[in-house]
Formats: sequence, C-alpha cells, structure tokens
Amino acid sequence: MARVSDRVSRRRFLGAAAGGAVGLTGILASGRAPAVAQTRELTFLTIASFVPETDKELKRQFEEWGARNKVKVRLDSIAHLQLVTKKASEVQARSGHDITALGPGLGDAELYFDHLVDLNDVAGEVGSKNGGWLNESDYLIRGKWKLLPWWMAPFPMAVRTDLLEQIGEKNPDTWEDWLRVGKKGKAIGHPFGTAISHTGDANVTLLSIMWSYGASYVGKDGKTLTINSSQTRQALEFVKRLYTEAMEPEVLAWDDASNNRCLNAGKCIGIHNPISAYESAKKDKVLVPGTQREIADVIDHVNTPKGPVDRKTTSGYWCIGIWNFSKNADVAKDFLRYHFQPDNLSRWVEAGRGFNTPFLNTLMKHPVYQSSKQYRHMTEIARVSVPPSWPGPTTAASQQVLDLYIIPDMFAQYVSGKMSADQAIAWAEKEMQEIYAGRKRKP
Amino acid sequence: MFTLYMPITPFVFFALFPLYFMVVTSLKTNAELYNVASAPFLIRRGVTFGHYQLLSTETLFWSWFANSLIVSLAATLISVAIGILAAYPLARLRFLGAESFGVAIFITYLVPPSLLFLPLTTVVNRLGLSDSLWALIVTYPTFLVPFCTWLLMGYFRTVPREIEECAMLDGCNRLQTMIRILLPVAIPGVICAALFAFTLSWNEFLYALVFVSPAELKTMTVGVFSELIRGDIYYWGGLMAGACIGSLPIVVAYVFFLDYYVSGLTAGAVK
Repeated sequence: MARVSDRVSRRRFLGAAAGGAVGLTGILASGRAPAVAQTRELTFLTIASFVPETDKELKRQFEEWGARNKVKVRLDSIAHLQLVTKKASEVQARSGHDITALGPGLGDAELYFDHLVDLNDVAGEVGSKNGGWLNESDYLIRGKWKLLPWWMAPFPMAVRTDLLEQIGEKNPDTWEDWLRVGKKGKAIGHPFGTAISHTGDANVTLLSIMWSYGASYVGKDGKTLTINSSQTRQALEFVKRLYTEAMEPEVLAWDDASNNRCLNAGKCIGIHNPISAYESAKKDKVLVPGTQREIADVIDHVNTPKGPVDRKTTSGYWCIGIWNFSKNADVAKDFLRYHFQPDNLSRWVEAGRGFNTPFLNTLMKHPVYQSSKQYRHMTEIARVSVPPSWPGPTTAASQQVLDLYIIPDMFAQYVSGKMSADQAIAWAEKEMQEIYAGRKRKP
Repeated sequence: MFTLYMPITPFVFFALFPLYFMVVTSLKTNAELYNVASAPFLIRRGVTFGHYQLLSTETLFWSWFANSLIVSLAATLISVAIGILAAYPLARLRFLGAESFGVAIFITYLVPPSLLFLPLTTVVNRLGLSDSLWALIVTYPTFLVPFCTWLLMGYFRTVPREIEECAMLDGCNRLQTMIRILLPVAIPGVICAALFAFTLSWNEFLYALVFVSPAELKTMTVGVFSELIRGDIYYWGGLMAGACIGSLPIVVAYVFFLDYYVSGLTAGAVK
C-alpha cells in the first residue's frame, strides 16, 4: 500500500499552500486584477423597466452604438429594489459598471458626488438638442451636473369610471373631490387607496398633498426645516379624514404593488399611481369581478389633484451617471450623447408607451402622449412634478428623509391615533433635525 | 394508524402549506390571481402553464438554474472538503488553543453576509473574479466552511477514538486513518453537512446579486427576482413558478439522503 505521505509530504503541502497564499496576497495588495481578467468593454447597469420593451430598445441602441464605435458593450439590469446595494458595493470596490442608473431621486448626485464624473458638457449638449431641460436648476447639485435626469413615471389618478357613474360623480380634480368620491366609494365597498407606509408611492402622494396645502419639509435654502407649520397641520387633518372616511386600515401596511392590486382586483375606486396598474390590467385581460368586462376598459387617468394652494406632485426621478473609476468615461459620455439624441430618445419613449417620461421639453410633445386618452395628462403632470425636497434643493439629507420614510411615518402616526398632530410633527421635525445636523457635520 | 398519523397531520400541513400555495399560484391565470372574490387556495378558472412558459421562453431561467447548480455543487464540494480537514484535527488532536479555535470558527459563521459583502467586493474585484461564477464559488465557502467544520467536529467526536487507534496499530498514519477509517463511519455527518451547505448556497442572494451582473451568469434567486419584479408590478405567477422549480433540487436531495441527514443531525444526542 502506497503511503499517502510519500506522494504529498507535509513539507511540500505547506510549501505549496504558502506559495499560493503569497500569490493571493500579492494580487490583493496590488489592488489590480490579474491581467487575464482585464478586458476593455463598456458596461451599463440599469433597472428592469416596468415595460420590458423599454429595456429591449435601450439594449438595441447600446449595441448599435457599440458596433459603430467598435466597443464591446454589456447592458445589465436588476430589480430597482436592489440598486442601492449594487451602487454601494461598486463604490466600495471602486470597480464595476461604467454607466449606472441612479435614483430614485436626485440624491445620489450628492451621496456619490465624489464618485461621479462631471457631466456639464453632456448635459449642455443634450439640453440644447431637446429644447432644454424641464427644470434645469432642480437637477444641478452643488452647481454641477453629476447625473442626467433620465425618466420619471408621472403620477396621475387612476379612476374607475363605472364606479364614478354608479355614485353619481364626474372625474374628480381636487383632493377634496377625491375625499368625497372616496367616501361614497367606500360606502359601496370600493374605497380610495393610497399607501401610508414605507413605500415610494407613499412618499409621492403624501408630499403631493402637503404641497397642495402649502406645506413642505425644508425651505429654499435647503437647511431650514419648515415641517412645523399650520399648513402641515391642515395636510395632516385632510389625510386623517381621507384615511378614516375614504380608505381602509390596510393602507398602513401597503407596499408599492398593493395599490395596483387594489385597483386591478376591482376593489379600489381610485389610486394615485403611474399608469402601470392600467397597463398590466390591459395586458393580463383582468375582468371586473362578477362581469365579463375588462377592467382596463373602465379605468381612466385624470390629472394629479390640486389642493387649496397648489397642484404639485413628484415621482421617482430615475437618473443616469458615470462612475469616475470607470476607465472608459469619455466613451461612456459618447454613448450618453447618442442615447439622448432626439431620435433615439423618441424611440425609447415610444417603446415605453409613455411610462418613461424624460425631463426634456421636446419630448413633452411626443406623439405617444396623444396616442391614447389615458396619457392625456402625462405631460401636464410631468411639468408640475418637482423633486421631493421642493422648494429646497436635493441634498444627501433630503434623500435620507425620503429613504427613511419620515413623511409617511408622520402621517401614519397621526391617522392611526398613535400621536396627536403636534406630536407627529414634533417627531418628524426632530428626526429631520438629526438627519440635517448629521449631514452638516460632514465636510 | 389513527394514533400514528393524527399527531403528525398538523405538522405535515404546516410544512407543506407554503409549497401547496406556491404550486396553486403558479398554475392560476393572472385574471384569477387579481380577483379578490376568488378562493386563494383553489383554482377555479382553469389551470395555466403560462407562467412556466414565460420563465422558459422569455427569461434565461434554465441558464440561471444551471448556474445555481454549478455554483452550489462546487461550493459544497470545496467547503465539505475543507471542513473535513479542519474538523478532524479540532476534534481529535490536542494542541494549544484547539478549543478556542473551534469556538472562533463558529463565531465566524455568525458574522452576517450583509456586513461582509462590501469588503468582499473589493477582494473579489482584486482577484479579477467579478462577473464570473468563480466569484461565488470562492466566496460561498466563507460562510460554508465554518458551518461545515462546526457540524463535522461534533460528528467526529461521536466516533469512538479506539477504532482509529486500532488502524494506527495496523500501520495507518493520521491521514490514512481519517480517509479509510473515520470518513466511512462519518458518512451521515458528511452528507448532513453537504446538504446544509448545498441548501445555503442554493438560496444565497446577496453575494450573487453583488458579485455577478451579466444576465446569463446570474443564479436563479437573483435572476428570477430581477426579471419578474418590474417597478411596482410583481409577476406573482412567474415568481411562484420559479420558486416551485427552484425547490425541486432541494426536495430531491433531501428525499434521497433523508436517513443520513437525520442520523447526522442527531449524532451524539444520546450517549
């Protein structure tokens, strides 16, 4: 019997292991991948779009541009919920994709200010070719273009026209109208639905209501907190009435998909949401319960509601940027110029059937918005859409207020009776003070 | 029979209910899935295989499935091999710090991947393994090896030392004793460790998301999640179809090795 130790002696084994460890340490210490792994290509990380055709068109453009410029390209997509993790890991390793989707919101420009390439030159060219940016000053962070606002999904009100008829109402236009409609709807088993929970939808709708009543959480200077105001109290009172009279308690536990389900299940009379619920109902041929009628046929989209003071809303602002650790930053800029050419953007908007609305003036006249009555308010809503920190600028702190769902929590604590209005506002103000103070300490 | 099956019925129901709900959801039409008036646990408007078709034809599901299989098998093999080599001396040899080293290994297992993924990203990148399955094959053992080692240490200690000593009297050295005497006796423990390691690898999400980006190289957990959650639209039927198919290898593995698994888990419970 051959001895195992004859074939691999302990000394030889330890020697080989030590050699391997030294080699590994060398690679790690050098901070460079072995040469065999270094290939030149342009990579782009995006989020899986609600309308898959959008991703296909983007891929087509990317590959077409790559073929013309003899650059190997790779488009990767992930669920939007995972983008935060992916961005953090790529910045930590200072390696990854060249171009990346950023958002939701403009806050990434501030959070990753030191890791993103300046896009002033590209933004200027893109703006001039597309009739200018919608609200240029909103997108500048510390006076620079650190990202290009890419697309938003405007927030109209999706409403069941058959139920409106049943309760003797016409298309509501103000928040008070919606309270009345929701109340009547709830009485016949079809409540109004908007999340008051940890979701992006809740941030959007509750901020829309605050602005409609003249409230905001931060002033124009981006430093002074303005949440503690009589206008915020009015907004709280309105949402409490909406919650108790027109909605059901389940909205306190909703996620982003819940309002879509509520509408498409034939339960909700209306929801504040992009057209995704309608589009999926249409695709899946979902029926009105108890009938053979498709629910998409009885859904209409009306303007985002106005309040006593204003008509404003926001949305998830999806943006695009280039990491400054990219070895191909100039090539990446070339692709952005290509993608943001009017023709290419137009095709991309067409593919998305208007779900992905760019922040550029010319695109507001895109034929897709006239192609169906469902889209008739989209551009108007896009024009009254502002960043969530409005009237203040987007900062890392304002982004954190969104990410920690301070606004939905304030409303939830009041409407559920856990706190009084003053307590809820004081709680939110304290949370925001800590967030803003913490950010101020950073150089 | 009644006294035998009656007590276990609630447990079987509890264990199988999620699987049942997954299967039912994956076979329902979207129209029925959205209908709040329909019974959630029954299919009333006909069975559809559309969700399985969607997975097969409109996504790279079977590539993701193969990737998961490759990564899980490779990581399991590596981890169990290293685990055996680490567990044996810790269980059998007396050397300074053996006890505390064993505890340290267990503590390593308790460090959550959500803390480790950021520094590991740097390591994976510097090794040039990003965007390849090797990134996962190399990193999964970081949480599998401590687990396998700890589990095998416990099992090896239940094997009588005397049978090894007999082998040594007959001329075997340490390595031969381990390979020819201990391992055949410890097969249930090794299989138990392998099953656990395979399951942990198969279900892993965070590293697979962070270290691998190309669509064709994604594992099943990440691929299904990326493709079937689009904004605020969740393709529930497709997600459940993916979950059903994804649970099959685990079910098959446990069915084949159940006896080993049970004896591996309960080793040393009664002395």
